[in-house]
Amino acid sequence: MHARQLDALGDPTRREIFDRIRHQPRAVGELAAELPVSRPAVSQHLRVLREAGLVQAEASGTRRIYSVDPSGLDALRSWVEDMWDEAMARFAAATDEERGDR
Amino acid sequence: MSIPPVRKERTVQVPPETAFSVFTERIGEWWPLASHSLGGDEAVSAVIEPRLGGRVYERLADGTEHDWGTVLVWDPPSRLVLSWHVGRDPAQSTEVEVRFDPAGEGACRVVLEHRNWERLGEEASTTRDGYDGGWETVLGRYTDLAGS
Repeated sequence: MHARQLDALGDPTRREIFDRIRHQPRAVGELAAELPVSRPAVSQHLRVLREAGLVQAEASGTRRIYSVDPSGLDALRSWVEDMWDEAMARFAAATDEERGDR
Repeated sequence: MSIPPVRKERTVQVPPETAFSVFTERIGEWWPLASHSLGGDEAVSAVIEPRLGGRVYERLADGTEHDWGTVLVWDPPSRLVLSWHVGRDPAQSTEVEVRFDPAGEGACRVVLEHRNWERLGEEASTTRDGYDGGWETVLGRYTDLAGS
């Protein structure tokens, strides 16, 4: 999953698109109007971002509005969970040693 | 984009004074440096300077130091708060709070909370550099640290 996210954000245009969506959910047409990129190209970039779990689409009338998919940040969060699990386990083991020393 | 804090609890069989000192003075011995540091195998120690405003950093075999954060609250033996910006711009610090609560005779409940995740993305796009220091670095650090 992470490799996919990194690949998706490895492209500067996709980073720009992701960044814009992060600040304000947008439709394909709006992004195409703001960026020097054709509408089909924007759609293609959005598809990659979506497949990477970074953005999600929601229908609004005839338009699809793209917003950030929180699962992207959740992935980071679960990595931090693992980090503290490991750190706390090792910390607890260190206090056991301290107890043994007394 | 509100992200709930990471929260960990652990009861250890030493009083808060000991738990606090092991956590802070001996972090270099127990922190999983190989898997969770900027230097990886090169990292030889981690340090929390024991005072308000103290630096939190790792030290590499060649003497290089990489900052992890700063001591925001130094209240032994009950509470410690650190800003945490490993591998990122300090402006995008998250925050780690550790509380050491007495838990009966000679025991201590250690409660850790890692929060302010929103800060990772905040205003990150106002400058290009800011953006590069945000998501990209965080995800990059992740893969570096995960060894992939």
